[in-house]
This record gives sequence, structure tokens and C-alpha cells, in this order.
Amino acid sequence: MIATDISIWIAAFFTIAATSYVFKDNIIFKFAEYTFIGVAAGHALVMGVENVKKYGWSHLKGGEIIYIIPFIVGVLLYFRYHPTYYWLYRYGIAFLVGQGIGLSMRGMVHTDFIKQIAATAGPLVAETALGTLNTIIIFILTITSLTHFIFTVKQVHIGTMSWLPKIGRYGMLLAFGAAFGNTVMTRFSQYQGRMLFLLRDWLGIVAP
Amino acid sequence: MYKREIPLLITFLSGMVAVLEYYFPTDATKNAFTVLKNWGIVIAAFALGFGAVNLFIVYGRRFRKAPNPVDRVFSIWLLVLLVITALVGVSLSSASDQYQWIYNSIYLPLGATMYASLCFYMTAGAYKVLRAKTLDSTLLLITAFLVILGNTPLSAAIWKGFFSWRMWIFDVIVSGAYRGIRIGVGIGSIVLGIRTLLGMETGYLGRR
Amino acid sequence: MGLEKVGALPRWLVMTIVVVLMAIPLIKPLGILPVISESTMDYYNAIDQLKPGDVVLFDIGFGSGGYPTLGPASIAILRHCFSKDLKVVIMATQQEGAVIYPLIMDKVKPEEVYGAKYGEDYVFLGYIAGVQTAMAAVLGDLHSAAPVDYTGKSIDTLPMMANIKNADDIDVVAYLTTAGEIAEGWVYQAYSRYKKTTCGGWLSMMTPSLKPYYDTGALTGMLDGIRGAAEYEKLIGEPGDAMKTTDILNLTQLWVLILVILGNIAFFAARGKEVS
Repeated sequence: MIATDISIWIAAFFTIAATSYVFKDNIIFKFAEYTFIGVAAGHALVMGVENVKKYGWSHLKGGEIIYIIPFIVGVLLYFRYHPTYYWLYRYGIAFLVGQGIGLSMRGMVHTDFIKQIAATAGPLVAETALGTLNTIIIFILTITSLTHFIFTVKQVHIGTMSWLPKIGRYGMLLAFGAAFGNTVMTRFSQYQGRMLFLLRDWLGIVAP
Repeated sequence: MYKREIPLLITFLSGMVAVLEYYFPTDATKNAFTVLKNWGIVIAAFALGFGAVNLFIVYGRRFRKAPNPVDRVFSIWLLVLLVITALVGVSLSSASDQYQWIYNSIYLPLGATMYASLCFYMTAGAYKVLRAKTLDSTLLLITAFLVILGNTPLSAAIWKGFFSWRMWIFDVIVSGAYRGIRIGVGIGSIVLGIRTLLGMETGYLGRR
Repeated sequence: MGLEKVGALPRWLVMTIVVVLMAIPLIKPLGILPVISESTMDYYNAIDQLKPGDVVLFDIGFGSGGYPTLGPASIAILRHCFSKDLKVVIMATQQEGAVIYPLIMDKVKPEEVYGAKYGEDYVFLGYIAGVQTAMAAVLGDLHSAAPVDYTGKSIDTLPMMANIKNADDIDVVAYLTTAGEIAEGWVYQAYSRYKKTTCGGWLSMMTPSLKPYYDTGALTGMLDGIRGAAEYEKLIGEPGDAMKTTDILNLTQLWVLILVILGNIAFFAARGKEVS
């Protein structure tokens, strides 16, 4: 049965409006686009205010005066727009960038570097013949795709060893094809979710 | 010094505390890092307002100066929606029914459909671009075809081999090639992170 | 008629067929069940092997863009957690997670179906800004990082939080996300720093770049987009939107393959004509 809730009708209108661009650029899509940007920015602002209240103000109310520092630094961020004192925003951005890098790097060395190399450097012989073949292929593809990205030593790409990065390149192309296949499935599954909404929740021609 | 050197020092210190807490998890480093992490949440929350400020600057200017009256109307519509969303969220909280209504009717359908409608472009892309013109494109085509085929339950119902091939491509080809890529990305990120912490990369500080 | 003409189907026809093929399986389901992959089985087992009272930290790391795919996955995972009487601490590292939470819980119905109580069996901390900063803060000292829940109530007043202070009290970290930063962030903060059992789920297109973490054991389980979501629904025995959506994939993906074949036939026909 067709929906009677106004919010479902509005949602259906915006779903169709956003899809209409696929067939032709039009003013309905432009209206939907501007609506989305406005609400999205408003939502980000709401989340920012709530986070400041919950995770900053609650500490200050609890007597932790030192939490005035992130408040000051946070306000200083908006000096970015000042013609003379723009440099004040650097204090906040420096803190965020430094902390972000510290947090990423400490885990990255372990999981992106050591564990990946350790997994590649293990025994190539597995329990079955197919397992051994697979392990050898993985080993070859890992090494050759790495050599493809060596640009500081040009002899890697020209001359007798140039087949190494070439194998890596072909391996990566095969992998990118697989990634494309998965990307097709992702996009379709996302739109299929919207189709389900239109046909079930809005028009009621699909059973719940 | 306070315009450049002190922000660089802040970057170094905030990053190093994070790294030290990982490698030397003593009470002193843990307590210091706990305070800095909580500060980071508050400062990151303040940064969420940048989008709204930028939109006010850009679309405020467009409302005043755009020659096309449609652009002017849409610009003010965007800003009105931003303000309404922010007011409802801040005054009633994001957990309120009214805010949830705005999200369910406007943000969710638009956000979901904007990303999802790429499926139509993927279809057009697969039709016009995925051709066996060169060795490179043929390799891409082969794995893309096998993965798209293997992704559907129907293909596995016809012949389980389609699913097995799909899994083999991911377990061997994709694992091998992307492991090499991940090691390379890891090395690059670690080097960039060290350079940033040591003050050799200063792009994030903005203009001189 | 030259074969090269099959490569010139009008765009509106191609798109319209896509829409029709999406609608048909919804109205008349094909009902073909997905095959369970090892990575989804591992994700399922990581939660299934927990005992009643064990703690799962669940992150809603996606927004409206990922909701059609990861929404059903979240519902399936949370149903699994509640059916096993686990304690679930839910948080959001993505801005929209805070407003997606009620949509998910409306379908899970923890109180009605599982007898779970808010504050005793599950708690929602809300959106915490900072991505990896938020992750590290919650795992390091949860009460200091998130002193209140999403409604502003102090978590010290919530009974289940009395024994959940930091990563040591959490048994499994499970997340679903559309952002690479969040996916990698949990690996760095939960697995690398605290050696927690970590299970990640994301859009299928992210799987190639994140699979190395699963291959090396940094991630115990992996949920590969809509396929993973449908497989998880099958494993818990509660078919939902993911299985319906996967049913649609049967026809739409087949149409993409037909278009690829037609495009290549047209290409080779045109090339043959040029040569002759």
C-alpha cells in the first residue's frame, strides 16, 4: 500500500530528483544538490557543537580547568579567515596534524610494513600443491609490484631487469580489474537499496 | 618564531607523545597522552564548523553577486537550510525526533542516492570503455569479468567454479598485488610522517 | 546490419533496462542464497565464540552513502550480539553515525526481541570527533574520553559501564565503515596497540586495498560489502534487506556482463572492417 507518511514522500522526491541527473542535468537536481549541501553542513555544525559540549564542557564543569586550553585553541582555528592574524590558526592545525601523524605512524610501521613483509617472507611450500603455487604467485606479485614503484634507480625499469616491474604492472592490472568488478557491485548494491525503498516503503508494491 | 617555529614544535610534541605512549607505555606517558587525546577530540569538534563558515562566505557572495536569479535563490535556500538544521540540532539535540525527521526525509535519501547513482555511469563505462584494445586493458577486462560473474549468487548456483575463481582471484592475485602496494604506501606514509614531525614538510601550515 | 552497431545502444535504453532489472527481482524474488565466504565466517565466529557478558565495541563508521549496504550488515551483527547476551558499547566515528543509530535500532529492537536493556546490556556513546584520536581515546580511557552517552547522561550512572574502562575490558572490536581512514584506524589503534580481536566491514570496492590486513591476521574477520552482509544474514538465519539486494545483483550484474560482451563485439567488428 502506498505510503501516507509525508517524510517518505519527501524522501522519495529527493531520491528521484538525485537520480534525474543521470538522464539529464535539470533544475530539480540542482535544487536537490543545494538542499543536500545545506543540510550536510548544518549537520556537521550540530555534531561539532554537541562534541564540544559533551567532551569539552563536561570536563570543564567537572573542575578540570586545564580543558580551557582546547577551547582556546579551537577558537583560534577560526582566525584562518582573519587577514592579519591568520597565523593563529596554525596552533590548532599543528596539534591535530601532529597527533594524527603520531597515531597513524605508530600502528602503520607494525601492520603496513612489518606484518606484510613477515607474511611475504614465510615458507613458500604449503601443504598442497595448489597452496604452494598460490604462495609463490603471491610472493612474486608482492615483490614485482613493489619494484614497479622504484623510481630512484632507473636501471630497474630499463635494461635486463625491466621484466620485474613489468610483471608487477600486469599483476596490478589484474588486481585493478578485480577491484573494478567489486566497485560495480558496490554502486549497484547502493542504488538497489534505494530501489527497495521506492518500491517497498513508498509505493508498497514489494512485500516488507 | 610564534608564527612558524612554535606550531612546528607543537606538531612534533603532539606526535611524539603518541609515539612514545606506544613504545614506552608507562603511567606517565599514558596519562599525558590521555589528556592530549581528549583535547584532540575537542579541537577536532571545533574544526567541524569550518564547512558551515566556508559555505556562508561562498554562497553569501554568490547570493549578492550572481547574475542568474536562480543561483541567488538556490544560494539563499542552501544557507536557510543550514541555519534551520543547525538550530533544530543545537536547540533540541540530534537525538530528537524533529532532527531525526530532517535526517530521514532529506539527508539520508540525498546522501544515499548521490553516491548510488554512480551505478548508471559504471554501466555506461563498462559498455563503452571496458574493451580488449591492448594487453593492459585485456588483463583488466579478464579479471573484471570473472569477478562480476563470481559476485552473483546465480553464477554460484549454476556452477560453483565461478565463485571459486572469484575467490582465487582475490586470495592470490589481489592479495599479492595489493600487499606490495600497501608496503609501498606504508613506506611513503612513514617517511612523510617523519618529515612532517621534524618540520621538513610545512604545507599544512598554509601561506607564509 | 554491421556487428559494430551493437556498441551504439542509446544511453536511455541502457539505463532504463538497469532500472527494470532492479525492479523485477524485488517484485518476484529469485530467492538464490549467497555462498558463505571464509572472511564472513571468520567475522561471524569472532562474535559467536564469545560468552554471555563479554563486551563488543561496535563502531558505526558510515553515513547515508553506506547505509543501503552497511545498514543491513549492522542490523545482522547487532542481532547476533544481542542473541548471545553480549554487552555492546556502540559508538560512531562518522558524523552521521549518531543519526543512523536510531534507524538501525528500530529494526534490531533489542528490548522487544532480546530483552536487552539500555545501560545494562548496551550503550550508545554517540559521535566522537577525531577518527583515530577518538579510537585511541576510547580504548585508552573510555570514561575520560566519553564521560556522557549520546543523550548527555553520565556513563558512570549506567550499570554496564562500571566494569568497562578501557581496551582491557573489551573482547572484540567490530566496525563497519565507508572510510579508509576509519578502517585503517581501527587496525592501528585496536589491533596494533592493544592486540584486540578486530573485525572490519566495508563497501566491496574497499576490499582489495584492505584485504592485506585480513591476510596477515591484523583483522580476524572481514565483511565484504553487500555480499558479506547477505552472508551474515544467512548465518544468523534472519534474511533481511541485504539478501533482497543481493538477489537483484543476479540480473543487474548479468546485464553489465552482456554490455561488456556487446561492447567488445562492436569493437572487434569495427576493427575488422578497418583492416579489410
